[in-house]
Amino acid sequence: MINYIIRRILWAIPVLLIISLVTFGLLHVIPGGPFDEEKPLPAEIIANLDAYYGLDDPLWKQYTDYLWNALHGDFGPSYSSRSRTVNDIISDHFPVSAQLGALALIIAMIVGVPLGTVSALKQNSFLDYSCMFFALLGVSVPAMTLGPVLIWFFALKLRILPVARWGTLQQAILPAFTLGIGRAALLARLTRASMLQVIREDYIRTARSKGVSERNVTIHHALKNALIPVVTVIGPMFAALVTGSLIVEQIFAIPGCGKYFVTSITNRDYPVVLGIMLLYAFLIIMANLIVDLTYAWIDPRIKYN
Amino acid sequence: MKKNILTLILSLSLIVGFSLVALTAPVTLQFNINTEPPTLDPALTTDTTSLLVVGQIFLGLTNYDSKTGEIIPELAKSWSVSDDGLKWTFQLRNDVVWTDGTPVTAHDVVYSMIRMLNPKTAASSANLLWVVRGAEPYNTGQGLVEDVGIKAVGDYTVEFTLEHPVGFFSALASRVCVTVPKQAIEKYGAKWIEPENIVTDGPFKLSEWKHQDYLVLAKNPDYYNASHVSIDKIYCPMVVEASTAMAMYEVGKLDCLRDIPLEDLDRVKNDPILSKELHVTKRWGTYFYGFNAKKPPFDNPLVRKAFASAIDRKSLIEYVLKGGQGPAQTFISPGIPGYIDGVKEGIGYPYDPEMARKYLAEAGYPNGKDFPKVTLMFNTSEAHRNIAQAIQQMWKDVLGVEVNIINQEWKVYLDTLQQNTPQIFRLGWMASYPDGYDYLKRNFYSTVLENYVGYKSPGFDSSVDELERETNPTKRMEAFLKAEALLCDTDCAIVPIYYYTMQELAKPYVVRDFTPTINDVPQFKDWEITK
Repeated sequence: MINYIIRRILWAIPVLLIISLVTFGLLHVIPGGPFDEEKPLPAEIIANLDAYYGLDDPLWKQYTDYLWNALHGDFGPSYSSRSRTVNDIISDHFPVSAQLGALALIIAMIVGVPLGTVSALKQNSFLDYSCMFFALLGVSVPAMTLGPVLIWFFALKLRILPVARWGTLQQAILPAFTLGIGRAALLARLTRASMLQVIREDYIRTARSKGVSERNVTIHHALKNALIPVVTVIGPMFAALVTGSLIVEQIFAIPGCGKYFVTSITNRDYPVVLGIMLLYAFLIIMANLIVDLTYAWIDPRIKYN
Repeated sequence: MKKNILTLILSLSLIVGFSLVALTAPVTLQFNINTEPPTLDPALTTDTTSLLVVGQIFLGLTNYDSKTGEIIPELAKSWSVSDDGLKWTFQLRNDVVWTDGTPVTAHDVVYSMIRMLNPKTAASSANLLWVVRGAEPYNTGQGLVEDVGIKAVGDYTVEFTLEHPVGFFSALASRVCVTVPKQAIEKYGAKWIEPENIVTDGPFKLSEWKHQDYLVLAKNPDYYNASHVSIDKIYCPMVVEASTAMAMYEVGKLDCLRDIPLEDLDRVKNDPILSKELHVTKRWGTYFYGFNAKKPPFDNPLVRKAFASAIDRKSLIEYVLKGGQGPAQTFISPGIPGYIDGVKEGIGYPYDPEMARKYLAEAGYPNGKDFPKVTLMFNTSEAHRNIAQAIQQMWKDVLGVEVNIINQEWKVYLDTLQQNTPQIFRLGWMASYPDGYDYLKRNFYSTVLENYVGYKSPGFDSSVDELERETNPTKRMEAFLKAEALLCDTDCAIVPIYYYTMQELAKPYVVRDFTPTINDVPQFKDWEITK
């Protein structure tokens, strides 16, 4: 097992390297540079700026310099936020995105799993159909629409929740809900499908015939096994929530990483783009690894060597 | 009895306590600054957010009073110019101090200007100082710092020696000559602008800055005119989404709102409360379409005039823009020295479908027959698209021509403008400092980079040179008239469309005026809160 883990971690290195190379290449292929302004700077000043940031070196040297610094933990300066480095930006803003992602995940699980379970147990009933209808809504309504609607209803009309920003628990409710509800829908459908399959298994019938209470059958025997496929998606789902929170962060004015990620692309802030890209890639790789390990831990039939 | 006395004393102290708190509660303004300012270093600022904050915490040599149109003293209490127009001498106030207690002197001014011109600083607006002797060679790495014509004479006098006379140098100084603290920059390097390091001298100081989240400006008690400033604290969240900011304004989390979402405008205008809080502020900027005179059919001035005359600015403003904008026939915005009223002077092309068709027919395309398909480009934005579609339709209805509209992402668009200027393209220009020279020189002088239209008119160039050097206001206005007449009328190199405005919501307890400012930097030091 240890060998497996070490192998997976070693595989992460070439993956990250390729991602950095492709990102670097793409950034330099797209037109426009970091210092293009509406009031264009004279050529000499742009030359000054390029020299200051080493952008006048040949591309291969810029890339290798970047890698060398990155290996030493220095991910470079930001071209647009002159007083901050990429390390500053990630350490200040990534925790916020991670908190938002974690809360969204919790909401997704708290809403999605019970909804799916109940639907499976009362299959084809009115309850089942309504739950699945809500699941469909959750998956179809994008954050771009849901966010402002929730703000309008809870913050403007009812005035029981704050409009935006981050810091208190009340401020976290609407954005976490907006971000998490789509995934809740996904988890509901997945739980329902998995549960439907499990409760038809022989061992469930055996447990019932042995006199185990319905509640115990559901939770202790069925749900535990039905959650295996669900657990496998939670890892990548967390990674996706953290990396995909841009729209929610923008709507609710949350100082997270997602906003930086997209503005850095429009600003052609190369080190910030690379830094966040590598961070997200690393996150997804780790999330997948943890999920695979969890899978092996839950299901004794699975062995890695 | 004892209990009653105790209760009385307790209640009285509570009342007194609360009143004291109410009396001394800081007067706070909540103002959205939209995004994180990329920098607060005056030498490096180009975007409006950074300029907004810099404008509150640092002092320029001069300032501009938009109501009187005069350049007024700020760090400099007076200035004079030599007879040959080459030497400008600024006398500084001697009561201005940095927030660390040290005095602001002429040596600080010289340090700041030299630093701005130092090629290693890579200052974005350094070229605005190239009128100073020796500045351009030093800034482009070909000259020595000793040859730059900026000197301190004693502790409170600064002398600028120019390459040639510049009539509006004091106007230039209001934007460009901002003094920075040598002691903080040398100590902290690039991080000198962080709240724990920064040293400033303006009416407000930076008291908190949580990146991407908010910043707080506090009244600077050592500001030389602190008694005039009535706001104690300005809380500036960074909310980029317009609809969210609108919601925050409606629940009272913001006291002013600048970007009212277009879809909310009608609701605001019809709402009994919000409509009273709506104000239209003029801005010193102009929206225009440029013609690439190097690409046929726009190499023919008649075609350009036809297109210019077919734009119905009034309908555009009333039905598409809805922001009380002013229709523009000339390029420099009203309120900026050099503004020419196109209607009054008969310069530029007002909406005239008859004439438009006549010009096109004279050019050889009666009713648009055989007119090639042309392209209009703009940078991606809902607003630009709406305008482009409206004007595309106007050209079709009036002239019978087909125009293709294409949009590109901003930086790609800038690149396209430079490498392969489209036949018609959209641009805007905001005044960098209070003088029209900026508008004309930076965009249409034959040798500048930004001259995307490829305008090469010796008459225009010589008028621009003249109004740069001339100090006599009447002669200057004559030169402005000549230049605008060539640009917008005779040669019709561009068609100005409208002068920018800004729709603002402001709570009734915010006492302020709604006059335009350079780069829309609000003058918070003049505002009051009556709550």
